[in-house]
Amino acid sequence: MAAIQPSPSSNDLQPPYTRTTPLSWVLQNLFNNWYNTVFTLFFGVILSYAAYRGLRFFFVTARWEIVETNLTNLMVGQFPRNELERVWAALFLLGGSGGFIAGQAKQLSTQDPTSPPPSPGREQILDFVRRAWPFTILVLFLLRLSRSTTIMLLILALVALTGAGRLIGARIPGASPKRITIFALATACATLLLLLFNGPPSQEWGGLLLTVFLSTVSILASFPLGILLALGRRSSLPAIRFVCVGYIEVIRGVPLITLLLLSTILKLFLPPNSFDPNDITRAAVVLALFTAAYVAEIMRGGFQAIPQGQIEAAQALGLVPIQTIRLIGLPQAIRKVVPALVGQFISLLKDTSLVSIIGLSDILKVSRSFTSQDDFVGKGLTAETLAAACLVYWALCFTMSKESKRLEERLGVGER
Amino acid sequence: MGDKENETTLPGPFPPQGKKPLQKDNQHMSQPTSGNTPTNTPMIVCEGIYKWFDDFCALRNVHLTVARQEVIVILGPSGSGKSTLIRTMNRLEKHDKGRILIDGTELTDDIRKIQEVRREVGMVFQQFNLFPHLTVLDNITLAPRHVRRMPKKDAEAQAIELLTRVQIPQQAHKYPGQLSGGQQQRVAIARALAMEPKVMLFDEPTSALDPEMIKEVLDVITDLAESGMTMIVVSHEMGFARAAANRVVFMDAGEIVEVNTPDRFFSQPQEERAKTFLSQIL
Ligand SMILES: Nc1ncnc2c1ncn2[C@@H]1O[C@H](COP(=O)(O)OP(=O)(O)OP(=O)(O)O)[C@@H](O)[C@H]1O
Ligand SMILES: [Mg+2]
Repeated sequence: MAAIQPSPSSNDLQPPYTRTTPLSWVLQNLFNNWYNTVFTLFFGVILSYAAYRGLRFFFVTARWEIVETNLTNLMVGQFPRNELERVWAALFLLGGSGGFIAGQAKQLSTQDPTSPPPSPGREQILDFVRRAWPFTILVLFLLRLSRSTTIMLLILALVALTGAGRLIGARIPGASPKRITIFALATACATLLLLLFNGPPSQEWGGLLLTVFLSTVSILASFPLGILLALGRRSSLPAIRFVCVGYIEVIRGVPLITLLLLSTILKLFLPPNSFDPNDITRAAVVLALFTAAYVAEIMRGGFQAIPQGQIEAAQALGLVPIQTIRLIGLPQAIRKVVPALVGQFISLLKDTSLVSIIGLSDILKVSRSFTSQDDFVGKGLTAETLAAACLVYWALCFTMSKESKRLEERLGVGER
Repeated sequence: MGDKENETTLPGPFPPQGKKPLQKDNQHMSQPTSGNTPTNTPMIVCEGIYKWFDDFCALRNVHLTVARQEVIVILGPSGSGKSTLIRTMNRLEKHDKGRILIDGTELTDDIRKIQEVRREVGMVFQQFNLFPHLTVLDNITLAPRHVRRMPKKDAEAQAIELLTRVQIPQQAHKYPGQLSGGQQQRVAIARALAMEPKVMLFDEPTSALDPEMIKEVLDVITDLAESGMTMIVVSHEMGFARAAANRVVFMDAGEIVEVNTPDRFFSQPQEERAKTFLSQIL
């Protein structure tokens, strides 16, 4: 027999690990053969030039005074200036309780023994930066334009309040999904009250406020509605199935603009004085109804991807159909379609710009109106106003997409 | 990757020497009939069951009576209707003709009756069918909490107890996707047992497992059989059938062809089709 092999030292049991330095990464991935080198150089030149022009515009040539003068318009449209406290109060409320909810959620997830151990503080800060940088850029840009100390202080206070809410939320014991839900609902109601109760008429709403309000409301409304439609489409009762399929196919067959226009003449078909929703309500309802049809199709895909065995297992355990849907079907379906769902919601957010067709002043409409003001007419500052709108949309949408990625990773724990 | 430390601590010999003596230490795993039901009535009665898929007849004139605490192993070639038969017993398939009574409750279109039966009948599937989005603990506590309205604390205590029974208490907080096949199937058994069923149905519980994991699952099922649980097991595991079954049922083409004791069935089958089948799988 051969001599006994020396047992491998603990070093041999480590996976072979070579440190990738940035330089070695670049060499291995961008310049590893001649055609890759050509591509790298070619696109490198194009991208550098574009970046150069973009940055030069942003920092040097752009005449931001048009946005500067209209900053408040961009944010809230014609919202009465003496009622701006409402908006600030709503922001503070959302920041504070948003932080609190995040803290409680964090607490919940650390109570869960399946969660990974808490990462060190440095990790958490890095993580926060990775999440918040698009929004930070937007806020810094706006602050730089406003040059108002009051607003700067208000923003700082808002950030501080959010952080404080987060800390308090992480420390107050007894977090539960139920408490978080109640808290979130209460916050939503309070926010609506703050903005709407005895508030300015709907025509005066505008800008970012209107865009965010419309998207939030219609996202929140379209999601449950879409789920119901998806379930209805799979129902065993033909009547329900026909109604749902009909709804989905009609809505998906008509452009959103058409539906928005239709909504304005809808009152011609209703009994006089029966009910006359204002434009914002109408737009929110149309956006929600429209998106619900798409959400329904996405959710249907999710439901169909669930193996039959899952449903049978639930039935064999004695769960009734509604419990099977709530506890087994929905959670699994949603996990499968998070990316598509968030994609739909991002698309909805951008589609809110279409409400200008029924006379509402969303952020895009507002920003386009600046160039016709007396001070700026004929000065060719369209690029600046559009760039500002772009930045706002991008910060919102990119954050949504990043958060969706995060959600996907967290929901996918332990799945194969 | 069978966990060695578990296998060494398994109670009882395998295969067990005595067939189904009621072992005292296993009693609380089974609930041998709630006190007031008469123990001499059969647990399962199938009378003249027919089942068609479109115009394909999957079950024809099946008669089977299963006594309390009896263990039945169903054998038969692929497509012979074994799965279909046990799936009619908790209404995962609707039978088209005949009568099925589970502990005296007849399975009809009445939803409440169906739910009643499903609460009393546990089922274990070939593909485990654990809920991938829930931890092992939540998989087990789900039905007790939502169907039996058991408080969370009690349900979790019971789940840990069951996981100890099936030899994997340390996996409670993992997700099914993080377990080996054998461990997953044992969780599935624990999940069914958590409803404290009177009957357990197993549909080829070891067919999707690698050979080294089959034993750990069969040990658990054998243990359960010895504790007095009424069970119907679709399985081709000869050793298990010999060790645990009171009767072997041989099916072919939707019919029950032969019912016999395991010893007699494997050594001297009566029917020609059974002989052919045995010669093919032995
Ligand atoms: N949902 C269904 N629709 C149509 N035919 C079906 C359906 N389920 C089962 N069958 C048919 O019924 C017959 C019996 O199927 P069953 O699954 O009960 O067989 P089995 O004995 O369990 O076979 P196996 O050992 O392969 O699991 C098969 O021929 C099968 O093709
Ligand atoms: Mg089968």
